[in-house]
Amino acid sequence: MDKESPQISERGLVPTCSAACPVHTDTREYVQRLSRGDYEGALDVLLEVNPFPSVCGRICHHPCESECRRKAIDSAVSLRMLKRFVVESTKEYRAARRKKPAESKTGAVAVIGSGPSGLTAALDLALLGYRVRVYEKDSRLGGMLAHAIPRYRLPVEALAEDIEDILAAGVEARTGCEVGRDITFDDLRKENDAILIAIGLSESQSLPIPGIGSHGVFSGITFLWDIANGMIPEVGDRVLVIGGGNVAIDIARAAKRLGPSKVYMACLEKRVEMPAWKWEVEEAEQEGIEILNSWGPEEILEKKGKVTGIEFKRCVNVFDEQGRFSPRYDESVTTGVEVDSVILAIGQRADLGCIVQTPVAAERGRLLCDRTSMTTSERGVFACGEVMTGPGSAIQAIAAGHDAAKVIADFLETGEILKLDNRTVQSIGELPAATAALAKRFERIEVDLADPVERIRGFTPIEPGYSEAEALAESRRCLACATGAYLESPVDCAGCLTCVRVCPFGVARVERTAIMPARECQTCGLCAAECPAAGIALSRFATNGMRETLKAILARSDGAKIARPFVVSYCCLNETASRKFLREQTEEEIQESGILRVMIPCVSRLSTVDLLSPFELGVDKIAVIACKEDGCFYPGAEELLARRISRVKKFLNEIGVGQDSLQLFKTDGSAEESWPGIWKEIRSAAADTTTRGERVHGGDSR
Amino acid sequence: MIVADPKPFGQVKGYVENFEKILIVGCGTCTTVCLVGGETEVRMLASGLRIAFGREGQNKSILEANVQRQCDEEFILPVLNRVADEGIDAVVTLACGVGVNFFADRLGNVPIFPGVNTTFYGAVAEPGLWVEMCAGCGECMTAHTGGICPIARCSKHLLNGPCGGSEKGKCEVDPARIDCVWQLIYDRLKALGRLEELRNLIAPKDWRTASDGGVRRTIRENLYKLK
Repeated sequence: MDKESPQISERGLVPTCSAACPVHTDTREYVQRLSRGDYEGALDVLLEVNPFPSVCGRICHHPCESECRRKAIDSAVSLRMLKRFVVESTKEYRAARRKKPAESKTGAVAVIGSGPSGLTAALDLALLGYRVRVYEKDSRLGGMLAHAIPRYRLPVEALAEDIEDILAAGVEARTGCEVGRDITFDDLRKENDAILIAIGLSESQSLPIPGIGSHGVFSGITFLWDIANGMIPEVGDRVLVIGGGNVAIDIARAAKRLGPSKVYMACLEKRVEMPAWKWEVEEAEQEGIEILNSWGPEEILEKKGKVTGIEFKRCVNVFDEQGRFSPRYDESVTTGVEVDSVILAIGQRADLGCIVQTPVAAERGRLLCDRTSMTTSERGVFACGEVMTGPGSAIQAIAAGHDAAKVIADFLETGEILKLDNRTVQSIGELPAATAALAKRFERIEVDLADPVERIRGFTPIEPGYSEAEALAESRRCLACATGAYLESPVDCAGCLTCVRVCPFGVARVERTAIMPARECQTCGLCAAECPAAGIALSRFATNGMRETLKAILARSDGAKIARPFVVSYCCLNETASRKFLREQTEEEIQESGILRVMIPCVSRLSTVDLLSPFELGVDKIAVIACKEDGCFYPGAEELLARRISRVKKFLNEIGVGQDSLQLFKTDGSAEESWPGIWKEIRSAAADTTTRGERVHGGDSR
Repeated sequence: MIVADPKPFGQVKGYVENFEKILIVGCGTCTTVCLVGGETEVRMLASGLRIAFGREGQNKSILEANVQRQCDEEFILPVLNRVADEGIDAVVTLACGVGVNFFADRLGNVPIFPGVNTTFYGAVAEPGLWVEMCAGCGECMTAHTGGICPIARCSKHLLNGPCGGSEKGKCEVDPARIDCVWQLIYDRLKALGRLEELRNLIAPKDWRTASDGGVRRTIRENLYKLK
């Protein structure tokens, strides 16, 4: 995959978004591809490391966003929504790109459980050529994704897209097949060279309090499972969910959609300590769910075996000084809530039925395993996902699936147990405040969730996706960290300080030669465009390269057939709201229109040479179409571009081409609305080859 | 540093119009810093020549090169070799006059032409503005004038105070842009508490250390004639 050259990665540093992602998605790359209209290329980047991009586009807790460096300027780039846009825009391409591995290897692996972890491992191993069979006790694949995440967050189709991809790679799946019941663990051992236990945490923990066995008390996971499978639980008119985590939120919000007049959540934690994501808590409250913080359940009240209420005692502390879970209560402070149903969401445990009466060791209901080698007590039996790590996110489970596949593949190849490397990744670090203070603010594009009153009427997805225009605009907020300027050849640098003088962010400095620290560089390209030694390179959209770019394009086209006047149009890519002008032009299009578009993320990075050299190649005119007035991401770039163009215009007069052959335009409205008019204007204006400008003696002439 | 300005394009084009294979050579030191002779300017002049000759139906070969410093043989040697190997007809240099001469002495029968006008030794008064600061007279006398050179910065090179053309601190030659250097010297010495030194007359300058003594040369014994 031909990626933009990320100089920072070469030095072992990665952008914060990628470092934060458990599978280290090359976030910057897919967002940049999206911004250029290459949605298919963006999907390729996503699928490199994540077989569940559709799922993650909907429900990922997006640590990438939490660590986005743009937060220092205004707010994080909406990366999850961009991911969702990519997968939703490339469905046909995704189906077409599926393929089975070319070679097959000797070795068979059984994967028990079809959650994100198990399926990721299964896919990785299948792609390596091993025979992989997944055993799922339920009728559908996906584990918790299929059964415990409510549809309003994760539609069935989104999960199905990801799973279809995985199966298409040759992973076999046996659904409705419970290991230990429908097939024995021993049989699996006989049939396979390795076994992967990826059974997740599929059961809810219970509470040892009076009344727990009453009618109207539900196990949280079962509750969600039943809803997902169309078996609507009969809840009363007042429901209380015990728990403060994300599963508790899902349960409370799902319960609310079943029609009760009141839904409570009660948890030990203070509001700020709640393990649920902040935004999910807020959305739950918007839906009318009342959260009771710092209460520990003492007794479920019942009458004739049916729940009538619940008593709580004040929880004064959830964690001890070492941060371990160790709740302390003030028994003198109590409260009661009258409810008809209580749903438990205080944690989950594994259903270890598959290893009962096998040598695979478990202790106090937990599988014994080693995180660094993904092994269990039995040679050839491995584990991954939540059964190993405890509760986590989908993307963490996917990461663990990759790890397991790596270890198993090595085991199948060598018979050895691989110890995984320390996975810490050195990130580029936060954007320095001084740099952020000089950057322009561009607010994040938010989508409005459905009205809470509408939301709670059913399980219809509540979050609309981005429109194409919104996705493109949001993608351009990405700072493309560490794809900026660097001194290509220090020997060429005269230390002239021009880079220092034009850098809008105070980033460039000269210590004998120029330095543009990648951690600070905002990738505007102005230093490269102005460098008199042409010694500064850019990791993406290199300046000074237009002559060669145009040469390559024109080499494919019959110049004689191009309509005259022939115009090269350098266009600010950031103004496009669709792929209309982002798609590569066909030869016929160029020939008929007489317009050759060159899309650039900020035309201010064009050097004087870029503005001149097209005339060498037989071009009649150049239209530089910049962004809207004051629309540039880079302070001062518009003025520098205007001055550069003014200088080239004078030179065009001197060389007999005429200053009107080069014109600067501003986008007015969207590119799609504005640019065709600009092209018409420049093509219809009579070519001006007179040298009207005054010759400048001394100072700035050439 | 040495400061230069670009020559008008037409002038440069005129120099080379009778040649077919022309090499433009930039200099990576002074003229790069003053933005007239670096790699970017080489590309721009070369592009301009290709376009201009192309429009006249002349298909000349315009080649480009750049060296770190045109005033050292080691640096220009690759260009000299290239001129010989590739059969270059003419060279245009974007270095100061030193580069033109240095090349001319070594180019045999291949002509060299200047692409810039070398103007002065100066400094960046503010970004984009270079101002003359030194005349290279061979015997620096700024110790007596508060560090401010009356040779380079006085329009008449006066050594003992201003002429009658000094008015409100400005030079009559161009009051809008030129300060009277003797006003600057007076203010500077006053600030240094050395105003009395202005009573010491400076003797007539011996201009032989400047260009009046013929072509100047200087030797560093540690390197000169080293075997």
